[in-house]
Amino acid sequence: MRRIATALAALALTLAAACDAGAGQTTADAGQPVDGGALTWGIETEPITFNPHLYAQAKARLLVWNAYEALLTHDDQGGYRPWLATGFEAAADGKAYTVTLRTGVTFSDGTPFDAAAVKANIDQLRSPGYAPQVAAVQLRNLKDAEVKDSTTVIFHLTRPDVLFLDFLSSPQGAVVSPKSLKEAKDLKAGGPELKGTGPFVLDRYVPGQEVHFARNPSYRGERPARLDEVTYRFLKESSVRVGALTSGQVQVIEGVPATDQALITSNPELTFRKGLNSGSAYSYYFNIAHAPFDDIRVRQAFREAVDVPTVLDAVYRGTATRAWSVVSPASPLYDKSLENTYSGDAAKANSLLDAAGWATRDAEGFRTRNGKRLTVRLVQSAPFVRDRREILAQTVQAAVKQSAGIDLRVSVVDQGTATKALADGEYEVFDNSRADTDAGAALDLLLHSGAAINRTGFNDAGLDGLLAEGVATSDAARRRATYAKIQQKVITEQALILPLYAPADQIAASRSVGGLGFEPTAGVPAGAAGVWLAK
Amino acid sequence: MNAVIRRILSGVVVLWAAATAAYLALLAAPGTTVDTIVGDGADTPEIRARIVAEWGLDRPEIVQYVSYLGRVAHGDLGRSYLLQRPVSDVVGAQLGPTLRLAVAAAGLGIVLALVLALTTRRPWARRVSSSAELVLVSTPPFLIGIVLLSVFSFRLGWFPVSGDKGIAALVLPALTLALPVAGVLTQVLRDGLDRALDEPFAVTARSRGLGESAVLVRHALRHALLPAIALAGWLFGVLLGGAVIIESVFGRPGLGSVTLLAVTSKDMPVVLAVVVLSATVYVVLNTVADLAYLVVDPRLRRS
Repeated sequence: MRRIATALAALALTLAAACDAGAGQTTADAGQPVDGGALTWGIETEPITFNPHLYAQAKARLLVWNAYEALLTHDDQGGYRPWLATGFEAAADGKAYTVTLRTGVTFSDGTPFDAAAVKANIDQLRSPGYAPQVAAVQLRNLKDAEVKDSTTVIFHLTRPDVLFLDFLSSPQGAVVSPKSLKEAKDLKAGGPELKGTGPFVLDRYVPGQEVHFARNPSYRGERPARLDEVTYRFLKESSVRVGALTSGQVQVIEGVPATDQALITSNPELTFRKGLNSGSAYSYYFNIAHAPFDDIRVRQAFREAVDVPTVLDAVYRGTATRAWSVVSPASPLYDKSLENTYSGDAAKANSLLDAAGWATRDAEGFRTRNGKRLTVRLVQSAPFVRDRREILAQTVQAAVKQSAGIDLRVSVVDQGTATKALADGEYEVFDNSRADTDAGAALDLLLHSGAAINRTGFNDAGLDGLLAEGVATSDAARRRATYAKIQQKVITEQALILPLYAPADQIAASRSVGGLGFEPTAGVPAGAAGVWLAK
Repeated sequence: MNAVIRRILSGVVVLWAAATAAYLALLAAPGTTVDTIVGDGADTPEIRARIVAEWGLDRPEIVQYVSYLGRVAHGDLGRSYLLQRPVSDVVGAQLGPTLRLAVAAAGLGIVLALVLALTTRRPWARRVSSSAELVLVSTPPFLIGIVLLSVFSFRLGWFPVSGDKGIAALVLPALTLALPVAGVLTQVLRDGLDRALDEPFAVTARSRGLGESAVLVRHALRHALLPAIALAGWLFGVLLGGAVIIESVFGRPGLGSVTLLAVTSKDMPVVLAVVVLSATVYVVLNTVADLAYLVVDPRLRRS
């Protein structure tokens, strides 16, 4: 019912836009950067928390850097550069990082930013009951933070871990005023009480409606605000976001699904940008703990049975970027040599299945072995289904049935049921994408033996060794080589994974808005610093 | 006096039963609160242990339940697992916008229903109106909302798309919610009017020389109102259920979106608070409906 409604709504909007396009005249672009003005930005996701330490939604990242800053930030080459720091240096054995801090910076409540403030944030992150996921994953190799002097902090690690630099550049690593960490009434919910050093100050939050930022007058950093104020409206329905933009009620929106992109690109008053996320590609992971995917030939056959470009076109109308590896093509660690090495060969799929003993068919055309149907189950947790992934699953279901007689059962269930299915091993296919800025962090969680979201059941000392090697060195070329080996092992040698597409974010805006873009490396929409509104 | 005390006591029992039923339903649903808090992020025994310790989830369910009831009795609704704020803040901040929406929609729906039922008495007019009502009742509110938005906000620019910002922003969401309500109420009222006009008292009134409209408004309408008032509880259900969808379409703050988020993520303290609140409103509404019968129907006052 709702799908029909959405389709009708899209039709109504198309008609509306068609009329607009005829009547509208092209306005000039945003021109040179100017100061001042108030911008309204329609976003899809209302954050569960505004506390950067507890950040967990990639869709909320564009809000974090408005009010908060981290010690380091990503450059566009997969490296790091100082932000609240002036420089950083790794010890020769990789077990310590010395970070020097900028001087003269204050939090928006007047508290000075110094080494003690940095240490207070680390202590807070490790205090019981505050941020268990940060403490257990990102800070697992941190021994302690030492205040050498007021502008120098030394982070001592228990073992070499380059992902610690990724933490220092992440929202969880943002430095919050230690005074507000102590005094905030709803510390874990964040909001106006929690002060940062960013170019804007979060001064008003109306749950369910909007969050408002005002320019931080005392900001002296490298990414100053041009706008006087920016309001983010929470508009969950994509057709409502697009309508609000085309009717000029908001000037910028993020999150434009494939079905609505033509409306934006055909409108001369609007601009459209797409950025690929880094981290891991959206992929199907095969559970090798039991039949049928314990047999590599069945895994290879499943991959050959899917013609990925056809499936993606059917669902995303040519707007999706195909993935060849578990690592996103936007990541510096991506192994390009995997492209065009597998998949989409139905004849090969059928001969592999014949060889694996699934040679007979039942009345419905599905393959069988010893009277048992070749059935594999994909369980999706409804609260986390996005990007029409349930439709994609149905399309893959039809493809593998038609080309190879594989019975893919897709169920979209509540989170409790999904968690139970995963815990009991009642699944053969697991789908996931992760928006970690360093793909290595995603692979650690997905591929390491017994890792938190290792759903393939593949445990291999060699692979664990490579993963450890990948985070032990900060040399970019050596890391690339190590992660290339990892990708070849899981994609080519073991056929553990069927990568599908690279998750992307979209920004659509009025031509009068300048300075919009995506965050380097992360690939998600950047914050409002540097954005201007033509007069 | 006894009647009032009985009424209050039965109200308290209803509230307790509603809270307990909701508690049991959430307990029976698959998955645990820890699963909810972990979400689709990293999941290790260490993380789980910390979450369990933080929220006291290792206590037996019955102890958690009793301690919950005890705190509620003292006016402490607890903290939201998901939003990390006191439940009274979460629900309190959203109560106003939803109340404004519900009252506006109910008022609009009732006025529309009265006007339609009384004015569309001619056969052709009732056929048109009746078909329109059926269409409105069977159309999902989501679609009504999007169509109204496309026309009156995106095309004509008369009303803003979102938020709880004054009367202009209230018009479209209230109308979206009011149309199906008006559809059902009109059908019920018209049916009641038809039956009342067939009664002997209508003939008597006409024989006294009363005009047709006076018979309709002064005599038939009173009879027709009784079944409509009985729908007050239903009306509240429609408004709260509709609010979930309307609020997300129109980007409005409100209880609907809070409830949806809380139920899908098993945020027990928020769900229980919403259930208790809804039960309270039900009890109050039904009491008001009972009193309204007395006002409308003099025969009931004697007993």
